[in-house]
Amino acid sequence: MSDLVFGLDTFGDVPQDDSGTPVSDARAIRQVVDEAVLAEDTGVDVIALGEHHRPEFAISTPETVLAGIATRTDRIRLGSGVTVLSSDDPVRVFQRFSTVDALSNGRAEVILGRGSFTESFPLFGYDLSDYDVLFEEKIELFAKLLEEKPVTWSGTKRAPLDNADVFPKTESGHLTTWVGVGGTPQSVIRTAQYGFPLMIAIIGGTPERFAPYIDLYQRATDKFGTTAHPVGMHSPGFIADTDEEARELHWPHYRVIRDRIGALRGWPPIRKEEYEAEIEHGSLYIGSPETVARKMARAIKALGVGRFDLIYTTGAQPISARLRAVELYGSKVVPMVRDILAG
Amino acid sequence: MTAQGFELGLNSFGEVATDAGGTLSDAETVRLIVEEAKLAEAVGLDVFSIGEHYRRGHNDSATPVLLAAIATATERIRLGTSVTVLSTNDPVRLYHEFSTLDAVSNGRAQLVLGRASATDSFPLFGYDLADYEELFEEKLDLFMRLQREETVTWSGKFRPPLVEQQLHPRMPPGGIPTWIGVGGSPNSVVRAARYDLPLMLAIIGGRPQRFAGHVELYHRTLEQLGHARRPVAQHSLGMVADTDEEALETWWTYWQPLVAQLAAERGFYKPTRERYLQEVDSGALFVGSPETVARKIATMARDLRLSRFDLKYDVLNLPREARARTIELLGREVAPRVKQLLTKEPTHV
Repeated sequence: MSDLVFGLDTFGDVPQDDSGTPVSDARAIRQVVDEAVLAEDTGVDVIALGEHHRPEFAISTPETVLAGIATRTDRIRLGSGVTVLSSDDPVRVFQRFSTVDALSNGRAEVILGRGSFTESFPLFGYDLSDYDVLFEEKIELFAKLLEEKPVTWSGTKRAPLDNADVFPKTESGHLTTWVGVGGTPQSVIRTAQYGFPLMIAIIGGTPERFAPYIDLYQRATDKFGTTAHPVGMHSPGFIADTDEEARELHWPHYRVIRDRIGALRGWPPIRKEEYEAEIEHGSLYIGSPETVARKMARAIKALGVGRFDLIYTTGAQPISARLRAVELYGSKVVPMVRDILAG
Repeated sequence: MTAQGFELGLNSFGEVATDAGGTLSDAETVRLIVEEAKLAEAVGLDVFSIGEHYRRGHNDSATPVLLAAIATATERIRLGTSVTVLSTNDPVRLYHEFSTLDAVSNGRAQLVLGRASATDSFPLFGYDLADYEELFEEKLDLFMRLQREETVTWSGKFRPPLVEQQLHPRMPPGGIPTWIGVGGSPNSVVRAARYDLPLMLAIIGGRPQRFAGHVELYHRTLEQLGHARRPVAQHSLGMVADTDEEALETWWTYWQPLVAQLAAERGFYKPTRERYLQEVDSGALFVGSPETVARKIATMARDLRLSRFDLKYDVLNLPREARARTIELLGREVAPRVKQLLTKEPTHV
């Protein structure tokens, strides 16, 4: 299990300073750059930034932030989590990520997804009723672009390409590309069909219920004759020195953002008991380093995944608490998980 | 414009360099540009700008991504574009990218918007060249509204409408410095004045003084519209070496085959040696020793009432040492000399 990969993911939540005032979007972005540098220093393998188009989140173009991180780091891998391919142009996505790959000496990893938020559809003028066909077509084009040869392609959602060559080319000849899925079996099968590694977003409920998806991925790669790569999982959480402190620093901010987004999706307000049950049995990895490490080890073992990414920011949590969480994750949680799984 | 306020910048089109005779890979060139921008800051230059191209040998297809990497490797130099092809970009994405760049760089982002002289982006992104003019006008309107207003409701012909959209991350109120790049069209000059935006003249051939009429038109239009005076800048190609001879020979070696190819594609004049020497002497090539290039820049600054001059220093396959030498000499010798010359004999502005 020594080749397990540990990541930290954020959507660039706008934090508050020590006086409780929300910082500017610009400061929120610089904060993420600083946290990525700290993550590298504490031994974290990957930082992944998600694309969102809402006032709570400062990151709308992950690659531009990743490029800023690239020149301040040497080792940490630079990912998106996710790039909303459906409402983007695969040609532009390739160009942006191959540039990050060049800047970082080959450390870029794109995670393509359909996104669980839908704000990007009206913003970029796409119709939600095309949700499936948009992703289907665009992933097909992206897979062609990954071959790094001139592309001829036509579809219904983008202008055709006639022998179009796209630059810059990568040094390795292959840009690392994952597909992020939320729980649609069809998405799992499609990922297997293209032979991409699979990242599962598990944001609620017991992780074990995703075991059938991983099994499906492996069976589907067999059927298509593609490679079954190690699967990754991505879940939210927070780490502080003690369990109590972690909950105190997480719950008030989680509640605000959970209820705001829940209202849009028709969920009732969250109760404290549900929150605590989610920490005990579900997919919130919250507590002291020991508590979080035990829970992560259990999930990694139950699902047999090769990568675990913790979404480490929630709403307006203070900057100082975020920095402490990054430090504890890299310096304590990750080594503890490795120890538990080795022992 | 005071001599002290005169700004010197560098422009890169992401062009592949050579090193000891070998050609750098795309990725190596990308990293070289970051190093060159750091050098530009170290020698005191004011702005580093990157173009946007979609052809082999150019690695500037994701300009804001490249600039963001430079942002965290520098502290002071301003970061811009030369130019951003607005016509084939989505103004909403551009806003995201440049507000993010401004955040990462602590407020050093700027851009020059243009229609582009290379048209490769039109087929690549599915636009019709027949809409060249209309695309730019419509997208400029949207992009400036996104920068100048908090919440935008908009509809147009080439992009789906926006209903009460507020974009994130937010730019500072009013947006970031935005220039209009023009290649010679008087309409573009008037448009820059109409939008109350500074003017960047791309002068890539012929006597730059022929743009004096454009500058006059720009200032007159600004005045008629009741706007304050705005800066005018020039972008031209060239290199600085220790001697005139060295600069002349090195630039010719790499520039000649490139222009020969472009001439065939676009129907430019053929790059004969005679035409070349004429361009260097009185035209738009800034090739020579620090003294020669400084004198030429100071002359243009006076004749065109410039407040900024950008030198495009990379040309396909130019050795990395020659590129680095241009940057060093431009910052250490040309910049102070231009300021000195302009102090002795100030510009009209």
